[in-house]
Amino acid sequence: MRKSSKFGFLALLLLSLFALVACTNSDSSSSEKDGNEGETEKEVVTTEEGKTVISFWHAMSGAGQTSLDAIVADFNASQDKYEVQAEFQGSYEESLTKLRSVGGTKDAPAITQVFEVGTKYMIDSGFIEPIQNFIDKDKYDLSQLEENILNYYTVDDQLYSMPFNSSTPVMLYNKDAFKAAGLDPEKAPETFSEVIDAAAKLKTDDMKGFSMLTYGWFFEELVATQGGLYVNEENGRAGDATEATFNGPEGLNAFNFLDTMNKAGTFGNFGTNWDDIRAAFQSGKVAMYMDSSAGVKGIIDNAPFEVGAAYIPYADEVKRNGVVIGGASLWMSKGIAEAEQEAAWEFMKYLTTPEIQARWHLETGYFAINPSAYEEQNVKDAWEVTPQLKVTVDQLQSTEPSIATQGALISVFPESRQQIVTALENLYQGMDAQEALDAAAEGTNRAIEIANKTK
Amino acid sequence: MTTVTKRRKISYWQRSSNVRTALLYLLPSIILFTVFVFYPMFRTIYLSFFLTDQAGEAAIFVGLENYTYLLESDAFLNSIKATFLFVLYTVPTGIIIALILALLANEKLRGIGFFRTIYASTMGVSVAASSVVWLFLFHPSVGMFNKFLNIFNLPQIEWLLDPTWALFSVSLSTIWLNTGFSFLIILGGLQNIDEYLYESARIDGASYWYRLKRITIPMLSPTLFFIITISLINAFQTFGQIDILTKGGPSQSTNLIVYSIYREAFINYQFGTASAQAVFLFICILIVTILQFKLGEKKVHYQ
Repeated sequence: MRKSSKFGFLALLLLSLFALVACTNSDSSSSEKDGNEGETEKEVVTTEEGKTVISFWHAMSGAGQTSLDAIVADFNASQDKYEVQAEFQGSYEESLTKLRSVGGTKDAPAITQVFEVGTKYMIDSGFIEPIQNFIDKDKYDLSQLEENILNYYTVDDQLYSMPFNSSTPVMLYNKDAFKAAGLDPEKAPETFSEVIDAAAKLKTDDMKGFSMLTYGWFFEELVATQGGLYVNEENGRAGDATEATFNGPEGLNAFNFLDTMNKAGTFGNFGTNWDDIRAAFQSGKVAMYMDSSAGVKGIIDNAPFEVGAAYIPYADEVKRNGVVIGGASLWMSKGIAEAEQEAAWEFMKYLTTPEIQARWHLETGYFAINPSAYEEQNVKDAWEVTPQLKVTVDQLQSTEPSIATQGALISVFPESRQQIVTALENLYQGMDAQEALDAAAEGTNRAIEIANKTK
Repeated sequence: MTTVTKRRKISYWQRSSNVRTALLYLLPSIILFTVFVFYPMFRTIYLSFFLTDQAGEAAIFVGLENYTYLLESDAFLNSIKATFLFVLYTVPTGIIIALILALLANEKLRGIGFFRTIYASTMGVSVAASSVVWLFLFHPSVGMFNKFLNIFNLPQIEWLLDPTWALFSVSLSTIWLNTGFSFLIILGGLQNIDEYLYESARIDGASYWYRLKRITIPMLSPTLFFIITISLINAFQTFGQIDILTKGGPSQSTNLIVYSIYREAFINYQFGTASAQAVFLFICILIVTILQFKLGEKKVHYQ
């Protein structure tokens, strides 16, 4: 008797648990509905002085965070209606994961910084207010912003988010090593075969010729600069992409380019960590490598030799198309109070002013999204001292606007980048270039398929 | 008749009163366990039968498809292999090193307290902090280990970048990290062994090795059993070192199951397949633990 009643209780407990688990779905959907119905009673947090308080989630650490905090403080001091609270939420991935749990509710931050490859996800999420609405309402003049940056974030002729920190890849090289190898330090190699030749000449016992961080972004750029597409449906901009195309001829060119140097022993593999490859360059273990334009300033300041900056290489048989913008943009939340959205919009406008952009460019190395920032005196002075910064801007401005350089739009980009990382690692271990690429494409296709199915 | 049934009813109520009291006492822990252990566990099992949408909610019921996909996927089979290799590298080595250190530290010598503290010190180091230190040691261009090899004119090793070395390197740092805890537990076990046993053995003229084999190890077996179980489970669940040192690379060689779950869930946002992996890991650990209890416990000597 006693035993059976014990089991009875246990069974009841298990049963209720199952019920709880199974109910969760319907629960969450109904609570979502409640959230929407409650829209009228959204409360706005204000300070004692009556300023509207909004929170701003960002993923900037190091120099970026210092600079951003100062800019936010200046904005708060510059007017008496709004108070922005900048909150660091970890890496881009981490902050996006956090956003998923509060997105669309009144607890969501008014502004979130999301990395470029999260663009498609954010548009599809329904969490956000397209920034275009405010641009139209406010008759904000978009033409003052950098066209090649706007291109990336414009989808179906709508600007969904406000570009903020943008960067592109550049090739950095050790001018001293160039001199020692008898190469012209003022003229960097431009095409794949030129880089391969230079790498062979630059290689010494201690120094490899060329390196690239094992990171999907650089591969995307090498494909784009040849005019190649990453996925079908016009890089995912004409409709939902269904298939990866990066394993086509352009992708293979890029892989063969790396493979040739790897097999010749002139390629240095320094892994997936930005700091490792930068340390390798600065300690003279590699003569040329690809970095983000946002890192250029730090490298020049710390390297014990003269650093040259050049455009990223491209395949010999095509013409240079240019680069795709990387970095992040700012998204405005939907479902928050109107006053909060107003505050967010004011802050975004403040960020795009030439003075702030000039400061941001100089303090971090990110581009000014407002090119008139480059006319500011402090920028001109800084370029005088470090002309390499200008190279990155020139490369962006000479980019030819096309679907390829607009960049791909898929919601599963983070997963696809991992596939590329694995493919690159396999390539360096001796796997056939096409085989490695195809495996990555297959993995990406499956991710795209699931994403389209569950959308 | 009526009195009989009445008495029976009363007696049932009375007889079950112990159970009810017990349940009342258990209630706090039952509630806590339900919220923080059972609910997430059943939710994981539930999600593993679905494909999830962008918000991580169950969207399409796929039955066992997530599981069949996993068992066919090279990446996951590779994760299983890496996990078992990792367990094999770290658990026996770590425990043997901890045992040797504990035996040394158990000797009654002057200043032994200093060594006991040193040997146990890695227990006080967090996974994240120690991994960052190891990251510098393993650094391909400015790392200590390669500088050291350079002194002896040995070829440089790409500790974390070469797939054949990466798992070994991660294991190395894990063994170092876990030794402190194992050491402390084993030392505690050693101190609990009755001194009289050794004294009588010495009187009988037993050698050190004989005493070690016949007294120390059998008397230590419950402690060893405990530490082996804990180490096994810990090794299966290793995450921090992987995330900081290799992020599962190169070529997936260090992509242990827990890291693969994390990647699937929080980078790829595929909570369905991630849950299926979690369930698979749970079953693995369960089987290993049951096997261990079935096979290993027989050899354990409880006083």
